[in-house]
Amino acid sequence: MNGWMGKIVRIDLGNLKRETVAVSDEMRRRYLGGRGLGVKLYSDLCSSATDPFDDDNALIFMTGPLTGTLMTSGRYQVVSRSPLTGTICDSSSGGQFGAALKGAGIDGLIIQGRAAGPVYLSVHDGEVDVRNASAFWGLDTQKTQKGIQAELSSKASVACIGPAGENRILFAAIMNDKDRAAGRGGLGAIMGGKNLKAIAASGSRPVAISDPEEYKALADRLERIVDKNPVTGKSLQVLGTSVLVNIINAHGMFPVENFRRGVFNDAEGTSGEKIAETLLQRQSACYKCPIGCGRTTRTRDKQGEGPEYETVWAFGAHLGISDLPAITEANYACNELGLDTITMGSTLGCAMELSETGAWKETLRWGESGKLLEWVTDTAYRRGIGAELALGSKRLAAKYGRPELAMQVKGLEIPAYDPRGAQGMALSYATSNRGGCHMRAYMIGPEILGHPVFLDRFSTAGKAELVALFQDVSAVVDSAVLCRFLQFAVGISTFTEMLRTVTGLDFSDEELMTIGRRIYTLERLFNNRAGFNRGDDTLPPRFFNEEFQTGPSRHRRVRLEEMLDDYYAVRGWDRNGAPRPETLAELGL
Amino acid sequence: MVKFYGLLRRRLRAATVEVAGEDLTVLALLRRTEEQSGQSFMDELLDRETGLLAGTIILINGENIRLRQALQTMVKAGDRLDLFSPAGGG
Repeated sequence: MNGWMGKIVRIDLGNLKRETVAVSDEMRRRYLGGRGLGVKLYSDLCSSATDPFDDDNALIFMTGPLTGTLMTSGRYQVVSRSPLTGTICDSSSGGQFGAALKGAGIDGLIIQGRAAGPVYLSVHDGEVDVRNASAFWGLDTQKTQKGIQAELSSKASVACIGPAGENRILFAAIMNDKDRAAGRGGLGAIMGGKNLKAIAASGSRPVAISDPEEYKALADRLERIVDKNPVTGKSLQVLGTSVLVNIINAHGMFPVENFRRGVFNDAEGTSGEKIAETLLQRQSACYKCPIGCGRTTRTRDKQGEGPEYETVWAFGAHLGISDLPAITEANYACNELGLDTITMGSTLGCAMELSETGAWKETLRWGESGKLLEWVTDTAYRRGIGAELALGSKRLAAKYGRPELAMQVKGLEIPAYDPRGAQGMALSYATSNRGGCHMRAYMIGPEILGHPVFLDRFSTAGKAELVALFQDVSAVVDSAVLCRFLQFAVGISTFTEMLRTVTGLDFSDEELMTIGRRIYTLERLFNNRAGFNRGDDTLPPRFFNEEFQTGPSRHRRVRLEEMLDDYYAVRGWDRNGAPRPETLAELGL
Repeated sequence: MVKFYGLLRRRLRAATVEVAGEDLTVLALLRRTEEQSGQSFMDELLDRETGLLAGTIILINGENIRLRQALQTMVKAGDRLDLFSPAGGG
């Protein structure tokens, strides 16, 4: 088989039973791999009645047909039901781990059951060993990875949880290859619930390529395209993702103090430019990535990875903090403890507003950078106010009677683009299958960055079609599996070409778009069954009722109702947001 | 005032330039900025044949010139121009 390794292993950690899961050629073609195949397998194994922490709940690590092949193909996807949101959730991470899993001879792992004590899995030569992880339980993600590499091989790639995952913090991340994170949705907590500390993968089994000659030519051509593109060939390399701080701030939509303002006066001090001048040691890159957007940085006392754009914002402007070293060290702490930086920072912002309004008696003040590390660490261990912060913003705000102060969609905190400044992004957040996420349909592309076309950010016209289209393309890229930053340089036809060259199957652009739509609709079906409907496709009331008084996005509100019906119509869903029978039939669902 | 960000700032080694003159088009103002600073930077923003490069962002007081008359948009005294060469992130 070309592209896929042809083996997905299911393991029950309770009875240690292992089996190879049969996946037909047809199913591979219909869902590819990664997110798509992961969601399909999850939907077949678990129902909406499955609690994320049930022993039976499946946690799926999945690669795709392109994993371990062409550029940016080191990524993997983790799929399960999010303990933070209750929605279907996939979380993506870079590094080497995806390629390592395929090198170890498998396309994916389905993990069910709960181990009696701490274990980790070692994948090698197509086999999965269960090993004792007692010596690593309690260790942070860096020590865990080093410890397991010392036990197995320095060449093993390790994905693991830190104390946050062990303590089932609802937004615990899975960390691999030092500091790469499957951050969103709290799937690290599910690992903790299963007593699964880590998965290590090693091996050098090659991925079979259908057309090696064309593959080589395509690899060379991709190198030239990515190098020539100003975003992938230059900006991301030199300035990383935090180049966006000044751009988004200049548009008046860089959220400040829990989305109450859109211009941060000290954006410059926390910008990508500033990071490059002061903290940056070198850029870092994932498997076969010529871009290298990662930042290896150093503060006075510590060294680590980051911060990326979302983290700079979450611990910076969102909290009224402009102390870049403090922001950076909070990022390092999240990496070590295994926490999603966006939910952590956003929850702190929610807590600060709750505190300011008097709804919560704890004192957390805007701009208080000196306590960041303590708050982050206490959250991972559920100590002191950390036990409250560990709830995430939705549960915390509800507990103190001010649910509207949580800046979340379906329980997932929205990231660093105020939706009042970009109507398409507002629709994207509202309709995202995993909640408040910018990665389902990155409308900042057309609405701010002019990529692939430039659109008026305050207009709602045509946004429904484009959001649906972007969501479908994203589902394809997440299932192939490739890095989404490749999309700054190439489009769907290139992804088609990559898949054809590697697998030998005669994919077309149209077929890939149908695959994307099928995946998005299948995710939606799961969410519908779990009780999510039109009423959940919304945003916090702040975005409908409050306006900025200053800045380039002043006097604007989100106009979701102008887009939502159109979006459902484009999707073939009814007015309540449920896929129509004819849509399901068309997609073979 | 013309403000440079990102790669432009690194290339020009300056964050801002005050440019004299009133009622210029954006294109004329960019040319004057090059003359005044003694450094060329237009290739980071413009394509000789098609005008603005895909991904170039030029804001006048926070508004994208693509929503007005692009490079022919008039700039008034006291306006602030933000210049970003193509960039991305996520």
